[in-house]
Formats: sequence, structure tokens, C-alpha cells
Amino acid sequence: MGWRIRRPLPRRFLTAGAAAALVSTTLAACGDAGTPTLNWYVNPEGVETLQAVAEGCSTDDFKIAVQQLPSSATDQRTQLARRLAARDSSTDLMSLDPVYVPEFASAGWLHELPDKYATEAGSDDLLAGALDAITWDGKPVAFSQWANTQVLWYRKSLAQAAGLDMTQPVTWDQVIQAAADNNGSVGVQANKYEGYVVWLNSLIEGAGGTIVDDTEAGAKAKVTIDSDAGRDAAKVIETLADSPARQADLSVSNEGTSLGRMFPADPAAPQGAGEFMVNWTFVYKNYEPGDGKDTTAEQFDDLGWARYPQTVAGEESRPPLGGIEIGVGAYTDHPDYALQAAECLTSAESQVKYALEIGWMPSRASAYDSAELRDAYPADLLTLFRESIDNAGTRPKTAFYNTISSALQARWHPASAVDDDTPARSAKFVEDILEGRSLL
Amino acid sequence: MGNTTVQRVGLVAGIALILVWCLLPVAWIISLSFKSAESITNGSPGFFPKDFAGWDNYQAVWDNEQFRRAIFNSIGISLIATVLSVILATLAAYAIARLEFRGKRLVLSVALAIAMFPVVSLVGPLFDMWRAIRLYDTWPGLIIPYMSFTLPLAIWTLSAFFREIPWEMEQAAQVDGATSWQAFRKVIVPLAAPGVFTAAILTFFFAWNDFVFGISLTSTENARPIPASLSFFVGADPFNRPVSLIAAGAVLATIPIVIIVLLFQRKIVAGLTSGAVKG
Amino acid sequence: MSTATTTRTQPATGRRKAVVSDRLKAENALGRKLVAPAVIVMLLVTVFPIVRALWLSFYNYTLTAPDDRRFVGLSNYLTALTDSLFWRATGVTVMIMVITVAVELVVGFVFAMVMHRVVFGRGVVRTSILIPYGIVTVISGFAWQFAFSLNNGFVNGWLPFVGDDFNWFEHFGSGITAIMISEIWKTTPFMSLLLLAGLAQVSEDMIEAAKVDGATWWQRLYKVILPNMRAAIMVAVLFRALDAYRIFDNIFVMTAGAAGTESISFLTYRQVIEQFQLGMGSALSVLLFLSVLLVAFILVKAFRVDLAQARQES
Repeated sequence: MGWRIRRPLPRRFLTAGAAAALVSTTLAACGDAGTPTLNWYVNPEGVETLQAVAEGCSTDDFKIAVQQLPSSATDQRTQLARRLAARDSSTDLMSLDPVYVPEFASAGWLHELPDKYATEAGSDDLLAGALDAITWDGKPVAFSQWANTQVLWYRKSLAQAAGLDMTQPVTWDQVIQAAADNNGSVGVQANKYEGYVVWLNSLIEGAGGTIVDDTEAGAKAKVTIDSDAGRDAAKVIETLADSPARQADLSVSNEGTSLGRMFPADPAAPQGAGEFMVNWTFVYKNYEPGDGKDTTAEQFDDLGWARYPQTVAGEESRPPLGGIEIGVGAYTDHPDYALQAAECLTSAESQVKYALEIGWMPSRASAYDSAELRDAYPADLLTLFRESIDNAGTRPKTAFYNTISSALQARWHPASAVDDDTPARSAKFVEDILEGRSLL
Repeated sequence: MGNTTVQRVGLVAGIALILVWCLLPVAWIISLSFKSAESITNGSPGFFPKDFAGWDNYQAVWDNEQFRRAIFNSIGISLIATVLSVILATLAAYAIARLEFRGKRLVLSVALAIAMFPVVSLVGPLFDMWRAIRLYDTWPGLIIPYMSFTLPLAIWTLSAFFREIPWEMEQAAQVDGATSWQAFRKVIVPLAAPGVFTAAILTFFFAWNDFVFGISLTSTENARPIPASLSFFVGADPFNRPVSLIAAGAVLATIPIVIIVLLFQRKIVAGLTSGAVKG
Repeated sequence: MSTATTTRTQPATGRRKAVVSDRLKAENALGRKLVAPAVIVMLLVTVFPIVRALWLSFYNYTLTAPDDRRFVGLSNYLTALTDSLFWRATGVTVMIMVITVAVELVVGFVFAMVMHRVVFGRGVVRTSILIPYGIVTVISGFAWQFAFSLNNGFVNGWLPFVGDDFNWFEHFGSGITAIMISEIWKTTPFMSLLLLAGLAQVSEDMIEAAKVDGATWWQRLYKVILPNMRAAIMVAVLFRALDAYRIFDNIFVMTAGAAGTESISFLTYRQVIEQFQLGMGSALSVLLFLSVLLVAFILVKAFRVDLAQARQES
């Protein structure tokens, strides 16, 4: 009967039938002989580098094994939360998107940082935005692995044709107009997913507003999206959705979909002049010519970068903040080792390695001073990244972030349906959801 | 005369329609699996690849350890669920086909009702229970819920098959001097085996197809089956959905099905048609 | 008709009554013993969880705050049943069910007619038709999603009335069409095989007789073939309808519920697995279960067909 065969059967099948490769990923619970293995759940990006760093951070006392999570931030959260809700002791270390730190911390899923580690985790070497992201209830609750931000990537030739002075801050309206008038397009992330809320939040913060206030109140937070700032943001989205500069796959666009529209093969085709694209820091390494890359040196020379566009002319933009924080699982059997490992995985030295090999920007100021990083990236780009992280507009820090985000996605997607009423409708919906009056 | 010509043309058109219907999407996914990753990023509309990638995508998928684990999990979990279901269902179907007992019709009705059960309804409570008793993200944690749809299917198919078996032959053999074990082994087993085998194939298909349990009750490659794994699949570049890699993975995951279909087409058709309406 | 099974297994006449009833008793006991394991397992894996879902549905229970669980009575049901999203998802699901089953019935019948008549290439046709049936639903979803994709698909290029940069997944109408096409493609073979079985039972003599009487092709179809296939059609429709009502995999893969394409199964899944709302999710699970029962009840009543009987006696 089904109920009898708890574990032995599959295990036997595993050892009997599986290749040696399988053994390497078998969870810590199985390899109980000798040194313990810490599982580090990572987002599936630059895994080889992560494995190398993990190996470097392993000591005689413990080994670190890399386990991969799904690719979307929401799925990563779901997988981790399900393990932790099951009080899983094999979740020793986890890579967390910054927006989920409050939720995990208040659910008691993150191991508390003893003073010794808290000082290091919250070191003043961290850039302001990154420090803010790991702080909950006034204390650091996780280690900052790296910090991400978005800048405006664009074709210099396109900006030139439009007569846009990119040394000065530009607004969304200018960018959309410039692209529309010069056979270009504007790349954003507007699928029904977390990335859309990243855009929305930056638009609103860039207009001096917020999505919710008083976030410490949890479900009783004050919803503030129904404001002039909210309507300014809606206006930008509406303008793009109605513009010839919109990309056809706008409603399903993500960080990858517009990459291919920067250097279209046929300049005469519609939107053939390239694009303005808001996107994360990885874009630089993505286009940098090299083995197996399509981009030519000439095209790469035409790639420009500038500060995230302004929602309202004259008001400083608030670029998105991303990156990854490393949390220690609350139910780990080896908290001391895990803390030690997390510290090593997030050191300035490790951060330089991530930046060089994966294109993940450091969250520590000292890492930006490293000679290797300065060799690998143009100085003005590094300055732009740092400045963007320091001035980032963080998404609401609340334990209910996922709920709020999903509710916003439900009302703001697709972008083509956004109008002047969307902020009011979404505010009402978020309130209803938080109070349990509506289904999400 | 004219009538038959019309009929013949209609028939040929019908055959063509069926073949196009069934095979075009399959050809498409195969064609897609040969588009290169770069051309996918840059956008390459059209049925056929413009930038032929050769076996690159297949190589990449096969080198992906998560994918291999998922195939392995799917085969293992589906096989175990199939074997367990077929064993239990054989006992039940034998009783239903051959013995007279009260509640017989009830058993068939229960099996049917359970086959109609919305699996999503089971996911929440199962998830909650599994994490409490540590079955979450394990093979048994999937095999047990798979029984909720494999078992009714197996019972349904097998009882239809067993009703067709001329059980009198067993007695006839015994009259001819065979022991009852001999009679069972030499007469009944060969008669019943094709039915059991067919039920096993259909059950395996169902288990292989599962998605809801696969994504809800697993969280690592420890037990994640292939459909769930495909939907979470990430290539080298996490920001770009690796469309052509997923296509290659889909083709690889479909090969076992195609082989089974090629080998056992007759049996499957017989099983499907007798399982639902007596053929 | 309903006595057919009992008479068949009734022991031969002429034995003493006591022996008969002893044998019957033993047979009864053995029969129950043999079905018991299967029945117990089926009930354990379904009834047990659904009872637990019923219990959880009376609580406000979130995975992220398990200690805050509190009894709320029927309020989860009240919230769900008064919410437009629930009714919208139900409406979408019913729409998918009705349209896909109707299309499958027509196409499936054509396929069944062809398979019934075909002699040359019979194996090839039947093998081909089993491939969509055997393919994993998720893969069917992917194949069609990519086919409709404006960046890498072929549908926009092939359809004359659709622009090359038409985004199928932006709006409800086109998105749900793509989802239904993937569902219809994958399940029509199953429908056609069930109909083929029914077609095999229509006697050729009757059709010939009708032909001799001068009935046209349509008349033969409506007056002779279809009425004689009634049981097969009903079983096929019932099976497929209930299956379509539970649609989930294609939606998850193709739109993830965007553009209002969410089905009731998908809504339930999201509450439980993504939102961690075990209480509300359980209430939706129970409602989903009840609505499946309701659909089954309506279909069975509408067709006035006893399934077990239709199958056993055909």
C-alpha cells in the first residue's frame, strides 16, 4: 500500500539507478558522515560563479552546496516559504529578493543575527539603499550579497537623431517622444509579474509619491497610490501604451524580451532604429562583445547609459532597487556555520567576483574601489550604478508585500488598459485585499 | 459511382486533416527546438529555424542536471504509481468482473466519482499534511496523491477488460486435469495479461502528465517531475525564457510517449475505447 | 437490462439452496476483500484531504502567520461567493468547458468517421492520433504558446487577417482562444476514440437498410447513426466536460491567468500555493469540488444516463 513506502524505496532507486552526478546534489540530510553540508538556495543565475564562491567559503568544518530555485522572484519566494513553513532544517542559507525580507523576517523564518554578525551585516560600508533593504524592525536581518538597479540604456545614434541631450536628466515623455519620432521603441517590463511593479513603483516614487505608507502597520498600512503621483505614473504608462514607440509584446514583456530590440538587423524596418530601455545592470555584460555574442564592437560603441528617466520634469528620478540578500534559515541545524558562511559569501571580495563574472553590482562601497572592477566597467557606468543605488526608490517594505504587489498587478495589467482611474481603482482593491474583503 | 468518388476524396481529405492536426504542432515544437538561442533572443518568427542550431539545444538540456533529475523522477514516480495502482486495481477488477458481491456497483461509481475529482482541491490540504509528516518534496509525497487518479482509471479499464475474459476456460482446464494453479497460470494469466498491460500504459500516461501535484508538492529536484521542471526551466540567461531549450526538453520528454505509442498503438486504442464504453 | 450482470454470474441451477447461499456468502466476502485495498486507498487520498479542506475552510489561516489562525465560520465562503473574481473565473471556466467540448465533439466525430472507414494507413492514422493524447498537457501548452508568440511563433505569419506584431496574450478574447486551441488539440483524439467505439456498435445493416430506403447521407446520420451512438456520445461528453472544467495546466503555462483568463482551478491554486491563504484556498477547494459535482449532476440528469450501466451494457 501507498502509505508504507515512506522513504526507503525511492532512496534505494536513487542509489541503484542514478549516476554519480546525482549524488552531488543529494541534500545535507543524507550526507551525515563527517562535515555537514549547508544548502544554499540560489536564484538560478551565474550558478557556476556561485558554486566557485561557495567552494571558496567552505571550510574544514562545513561544505556549502548550491541548490537552484526557479527563475521568477515570486516563484523563488513560494518555494522557499513552502520549505520554511514546513520547518525544513535543510534550508541553511537562502538568496532572497529584497522585497521579501520583511515577510520572511516577520514570519520568523530568518535566523536572528547575533550582535557580532549584525554589525558586519549592517556595516556602514553598505550603500544606503542596500542597507535599507536588509533592515527590518530597526535591525539587520540578512546579509547583502549584491545590489541591483536600473538605468536607461539607449542607442546613442537614436538619441542623437532625436536631438536629445543625454548628459542632462531626461523624462519619460521625452524618451517616448524621441523613440516614436525616430523609428525607435521603448523597452520596459510590463508582463503581469513582479517586474511590472518595479517599474510602477519607480514611476510613482519619481513623482514624489508612494504605493503604501505606514508599512509597519502590516495589513493596516495606509494605501497612498490614489494620488497625483499615482496618476502621473498612470499617465506615463498610458502614454507609452498608446505610442508608436511601444513594443508589440508590451503586455508580456520582461527583462529579456527587449534585449533583442536594441540593435535590430534591419534599420529600415519599423522600430529598426533601436530603443531606449530601462533595465538592470546585467545589460552591459549582455552586450559586451565576446565569445558567442552577436553584438559587434561597432554596435557596442553605440550603446549609451543614463540615469533612470524622470516621471515629472525637474523631479529627481528614483531608480528601482534590486539585488539579493542572503538569509540564514531559522530551522538550520548549523546556525553558527551558516552565519559564518553568509558573511563570507557577502564579503567585499566575493562581491567583486560576482561583479566580474556575473555582472552583479556590489552593495559595498569598498568593492567599487577595487582595481579589477574599474578595469571591467567604464568609470562613468560604475558611478551611475552607485548613484542609482544610493538614490533608489525602494518598493514598500511590508510583510504583506507580495499581496500588495499581486493586487497591483491585477489592476494595472495590461498596460494598455491603464488610465486616469487606475490609481483609484487599484487603491480600493489593495485595501479590500488587505482587509480580506476580496479575493486575489 | 460519383458517390463513391466523393466518399473517397472525403476520406483522403479526412486522413490528411487528422495527420495535419495531430502532427503539425509536434513538427512545430521539433522545429522550434532547432532555433538557436540567439535568434530566440532577437526574435525569429516563422515556422522553420532561420539560424539552425543543430543539436546545441538538446546538448544543453541534456547537460542540465535538473532536467535529467526531473526525467529520472518522472520515470520513477510514474512507474511506481502505475505498478501500485495496477496491482490494487487488478484485485478489485477481478472481483468486479467475476464475483458477485454487494456494493459492486458502488465501487465502480466511487471510482468514477474519484476520477472526476478536481485535483486542485486536494493540493491545499495535502500540502499542509505533507509538510507536517515530512512527505513534502519526496517521491512518496507524489506517488500517494497520484493514486487518486491512476487507481480509478486502472480499475475502470481493467474491469472492462476482465469482463471479456472467458473465465469458464479455467474450469475447463481443471476438468482436463490441470491443477488450479496451472489452470490460473496457463489459462487465465495469458488471457488477462494484455488487459493489465494496457491498463498499465494508460495509467502511466496519466501519471506522466500530472502537473498540479508536481508543482505544488515539490520544491527541489528531489522529486520534481518533468512537466513541473519544464515550466520552471531556466537557461543560461535567467532574464530570457529559453524557448528553444524548453522545446528541446519537451521533445525529449515526449520521446518515451512516442515510443510507447508506436509499440502499443493497438492496445492503447483498445484500452481507451473499452475503458469508457464497452467496445 | 440492469439484471444482466447478476444473471450471468448466478450459479447453475439444481444445487441445494444452502450450498448456494454459503457459496454466495463466501463470494461476497472474497469480493469485498479484493476491492477493499483499492477502495480504502482511493478514499484515503481524496475524501481525507477534502474533509480536511472543509475543516480548514472555516479558519482564517495564512502560512506566513500560522499562529494567528482563527475560526471565522462561513466568512471565507461569503467573501468568495460575493466576489466578482470568483464568478468571473467560474464564468470563464464554464465558457471554456462549453466551447471546447462542442468543438471537440464535432471534430472528434469527423475523426471517428474517418478512422472508422479508413483501411489503408489505419495504423498510421491511429498512431498519429494517439500522440496528442499522450503528450503532456504542459507541453501542449508550451507548443501553442510559442506558436502564438509574436517574437518566435508562426501563427501571425500564417494567418492572413492577423498582423505580424499581434500580441495574442494581451487581451482576453485572443488569449482564451489560444488556451482553448491548445486544450482542443490535446483532447480531441480522446473524444474521437470514444466516439469511434460508439460508431463500431452501429450496425452496418441498419445503415444499409436506410440507404436502400433512399435516406440521404444526412438523414442516415441523424436518424440512424447518432441515435445509436447516444451512450458513447454521452460518456464522451461527460468525461471531457468534467475534465475541461478542471482546466489548469494550459492556463498556468500560457498566460498564468493574465488578461482575465483565470479558471476556477487556477484561482484556487493561487490562493493556496502562491498566496499561502490556506483558509480561503480551502474554501475555494470545497466550492470547486461542489461545482464539479453540480456539473456532473446536471450532465447526468440532462442525459438521463446511468454511467456504470451505459458502460456495462452499452
